[in-house]
Amino acid sequence: MHETLSNLPLLSGLPAQVLVVLAMVSAGGIILGCIAVGGMFFIWSERKVAGYIQSRYGPMYVGGWHGVLQSLADGVKLLLKEDIWPEKADKPLWRMAPLLVFLGAFLSFVVLPFGPNFVGANLDIGLFYVMATSSLVVMGVISAGWGSNNKWALYGALRGAAQVISYEIPLGLALLPVVMSTGSLNLGTIIQAQAGWIHNWHLLNPLFFVSFWIYVISSLAEVNRVPFDLPETESELVSGYHTEYTGMKFAFFFLGEYADMFVVSAIGVTVFLGGWYSGIPALDVPALFPLIFILKSFFLVFVQIWLRWTLPRLRVDQLMYVCWKVFIPIALANLLLYGVIRTVLS
Amino acid sequence: MVKFVTDIWDTFSTVFKGMGITARYMRKKPVTQQFPEERWALPDRFRGFVHNDVPRCTSCTLCAKACPVDCIYIEMEGKGKDRRMTRFAIDYNKCIWCSLCTEPCPTNCITMSHDYDHSVYLREKLVYEFVGDPVIPFKPKKAAREEEAEA
Amino acid sequence: MTDVRPHQDIATPAGDIAKPIKSELLHINMGPQHPSTHGVLRLFITTDGEMVTKVVPYLGYLHRCAEKIAEGNTYHQYIIYTDRMDYLAAMNCNWTYCLAVENTLRSLGVEVEIPEYAEYVRVIIGELNRIASHLIAFGTYGLDIGAMTPFFHALREREAILNIFEKVCGARLMYSYYDVGGVKWDIPDDAMDEIKLFIDLFPAKLDEYNELLTGNKIFVERTANVGVLDAATCIDYGCTGPVLRGSGVKHDLRKDDPYSIYDRFDFDIPVGTGTVGTVGDCWDRYHVRMLEMYESWRIIQQAVDRIPPRGEVMAKMPKNLKVPPGQGYYRAENPKGEMGFYIISDGGTVPFRCKTRSPAFHNLHIIEHVGKGQMISDLCATIGSLDLVLGEIDR
Repeated sequence: MHETLSNLPLLSGLPAQVLVVLAMVSAGGIILGCIAVGGMFFIWSERKVAGYIQSRYGPMYVGGWHGVLQSLADGVKLLLKEDIWPEKADKPLWRMAPLLVFLGAFLSFVVLPFGPNFVGANLDIGLFYVMATSSLVVMGVISAGWGSNNKWALYGALRGAAQVISYEIPLGLALLPVVMSTGSLNLGTIIQAQAGWIHNWHLLNPLFFVSFWIYVISSLAEVNRVPFDLPETESELVSGYHTEYTGMKFAFFFLGEYADMFVVSAIGVTVFLGGWYSGIPALDVPALFPLIFILKSFFLVFVQIWLRWTLPRLRVDQLMYVCWKVFIPIALANLLLYGVIRTVLS
Repeated sequence: MVKFVTDIWDTFSTVFKGMGITARYMRKKPVTQQFPEERWALPDRFRGFVHNDVPRCTSCTLCAKACPVDCIYIEMEGKGKDRRMTRFAIDYNKCIWCSLCTEPCPTNCITMSHDYDHSVYLREKLVYEFVGDPVIPFKPKKAAREEEAEA
Repeated sequence: MTDVRPHQDIATPAGDIAKPIKSELLHINMGPQHPSTHGVLRLFITTDGEMVTKVVPYLGYLHRCAEKIAEGNTYHQYIIYTDRMDYLAAMNCNWTYCLAVENTLRSLGVEVEIPEYAEYVRVIIGELNRIASHLIAFGTYGLDIGAMTPFFHALREREAILNIFEKVCGARLMYSYYDVGGVKWDIPDDAMDEIKLFIDLFPAKLDEYNELLTGNKIFVERTANVGVLDAATCIDYGCTGPVLRGSGVKHDLRKDDPYSIYDRFDFDIPVGTGTVGTVGDCWDRYHVRMLEMYESWRIIQQAVDRIPPRGEVMAKMPKNLKVPPGQGYYRAENPKGEMGFYIISDGGTVPFRCKTRSPAFHNLHIIEHVGKGQMISDLCATIGSLDLVLGEIDR
């Protein structure tokens, strides 16, 4: 990107180091803007979907048509709100927590492949990188719970830690067969393996079918959505780890959650749903690639929202049961089966 | 092992059933109303703010006696022919819209109206004074006689 | 979930440096501003990790001296205070109180002849309110378990009932519709049409609720075998209503001690059977309420079919009601359980003493017994299954 910047006449005289920093800052700014706008859109759409599922309208006034700017108004309200600090909070941890939660989602956006040339950093270990950064969220959750000096928040944080750490294992195991198949952790390469007609998508490959379901369900747990929203559980733990947060800090938690939802959906699309390919070769023109990718991700986000407003939540021990006694054995068996079949076929 | 498989099957089938119901509602029109624009048609018996039609009030204080929360204040001056009602006030802070005051009223001048939004910023403003200058209480018999005379 | 780890220091692996890790019990205030305590109930819980080792309910945050107020208000005036006891089933509270006054009068030799039409109106409206109350119980139970949508769907059907009540008595929550000796107004024609429409539509909605929540595997896992109350414990604690019936005891005053005209209707008393778990678990209590809605629907249907032509709604009562010196207790089956009023009169226009026996008060106290050794999530599920209304617990 800094090469592009150096070609601009205004900046051509600047030294290369400054240009690199400028490029990084502007790229970060673009991603931040995208997350903010996308997060607001998701929050609005979640409220609308919830409303219609529950026979009501949801936001209707701010911004004209069906309250599209409601989230913006809420954001402004949260910005202007008083920032309340618990007296005995662990200040550094308390202040750091929302940033850590947000950072986890933010860093993952860098490698999301919106198109063959439309990616922040085309890392060869892209998938691994996403798995690593998304577990940064749990650091934020723990420090929020501990730093708040609130018993309910502490409960939420401990539940969150146990949950996210446990569910990374089936999540990773579910992705491994695909990695074995494509022989690469690069997200772009994984997508290119699914080019052509729709039957090339990994979802429609019977060998990856189980993987897909394990991935989708574990990703719900990874981003703390119903039926695995135990760190928040507003009916049990008041509001879980962000009980004590107000104003902009709370907004960061909220935005981070929705950005995370998009990240796991995008990875699901990349690995199983053909990424930027539409499934019909005639439609696969480079200009449409980002649009197709984003639409598919939106669909998975919509499914997450849909599930949230349908299901009750699990109990903490059942959550662990589902992870360790159902998903991990199945995922391991699936991996083994795939390895055997692959070896036999080759 | 059989239970393991049937449990997984149960979970998926019931979850999809639930998602089917919520999906059906997503396509339906909501049943709620957009309140300030659309308003509910109030039924005839709706019990809104209590209203007193002072010209027909005999100031018999039956309503004040019937009120279980004592929110009706009636004050009078003088005796016999000089009797004047100086105050008829209802404290809506206390009123519980039970309509017990309307039952004993001899002239049906105290009624439950259809008003329901009298929001104010100060509690004092919810004490409604119905009488400004002292008024002569309504006399049903005299009024009936006058009506007869007119007819 | 019964084995609770005793509170003790956990020994660490051998080694000179390793000191035993000190573990402490955590004391938490659950409420009075907690989302799943259904009002202003305060539970003081002691937890060991996720396990609850002790639950102590503290009451009094909604105490309004209702029983003392009764001593200063006439028999008619006190009806409106009974509205505010179980505010989700205000009609039934009105009804119980009116029954108590009427029966006290009868037992002291004053004749009270309630018109036939008024009796039918009382049954129809009372059963509608029972459905409304159970709908809230169903919806908030979904909320406690984490499903938000059933709550809104339940409220939608409750709105239909409230619209009927608004047409009948002009209020949506605090009705004060029943009066000593009958009811205050008749059921207008448009309200009757709405009741018939409701009868037609309701069973389909009930099936939908069952599909959405009752049968859901996650919901069953959360509620089956949780908060198990055996029949003997329930009886010991004085539990009534769906809590007692959920434990398999077939006790319903509408059948066992029929009041009003309940002996004329054909309906069943659903009891907990332990379909998915143990008899008397949260799911059973929840399911008894779902089945009771259906039974109430059957009663309303029969009552609407047989209601006599519109006539008198009130018995001939003196304008200034005085109860002769004496006393009387009467109980009736409310949605939450057995509600009773004990009235002592000294011959004046106000009762000398009016004691209320409220069902939720007795149902609540079993939480101390059943809450021990549960997880926090199970405790929330158990509180929800008891269907508490703080208005009548604190009075």
